[in-house]
Amino acid sequence: MFGLEAIIAHDGLGISVIGISIVFVSLVLLSFAVSQIHKLIELWDKKKISYQRVKKLQQKDQKTPSVSVPTVPQDVQRASRQFKLLIEWMGEPFPLPKLLDLSEKCGLSHPHSTINEFIKCELIIPDENGYYVWNKQL
Amino acid sequence: MMSTDIQTLKSLDLFADLNFGELEQIAPLMHLMKVTEGEVLTRRGESARTFFIILSGNFMLSFNEERSFTLHNKGNIIGLSTVVTPFRYTATAVALTDGLVLLMQGQEFLRLVQSNSALGDTIMRKINEIVSERMPYMTGDWEERRH
Repeated sequence: MFGLEAIIAHDGLGISVIGISIVFVSLVLLSFAVSQIHKLIELWDKKKISYQRVKKLQQKDQKTPSVSVPTVPQDVQRASRQFKLLIEWMGEPFPLPKLLDLSEKCGLSHPHSTINEFIKCELIIPDENGYYVWNKQL
Repeated sequence: MMSTDIQTLKSLDLFADLNFGELEQIAPLMHLMKVTEGEVLTRRGESARTFFIILSGNFMLSFNEERSFTLHNKGNIIGLSTVVTPFRYTATAVALTDGLVLLMQGQEFLRLVQSNSALGDTIMRKINEIVSERMPYMTGDWEERRH
């Protein structure tokens, strides 16, 4: 027995179909795996970034004391007298741009940075409606 | 003005999730600019052409009806209207102290976001979060934010 007859007699056709299927399925799986590699790389990148963030946060926590009490430096206190008069004249809560505008018109020195100092020292605090009030507790 | 380096961009919250290749695309578009106390970066109602990211310094954003808040941290953003319709500044931004900002032209930024959908999606998601936080200052509607 030779040729096609021999192939059919020994299930040659079936075996070759199975062989082709195995190769085809393997190639499909391989191409899918390759197409997903970029996601793995992204995941690796994100893992590195979040690790760095956690590290930074931990360093920050160690540096900052647990309780912070705002203190007002003397030069800020001195400047605050003039600004307080303006705020009393405007009424509270007051818009910050208006305070800035008035202080410029009154010729106060460095009104922008002075107001910034007030905010940082919590001498002026936001009222959660977009306006500000004088912190009477300080 | 000088172009900026990848390390600086990576340290900013807006770009923290981007990979090296994406940061390389952004770096040549961002420029360093010094600002001085009292300098106005944006004016409410004007056409929004430039987008700023704070590296140092303190800034005040004032909105409609003189509602305002201040920005003091590295990575804070000024000029979001550059990427949000109708592309007009909703706030006037004033430098309260001397500082340093990164700036990018709005058109270049939009082109970048449109050319790379993954990058655009990451950045726009963060920008949307900031816009929603600032929305009450624009609309005056604080109730929604409190609930």
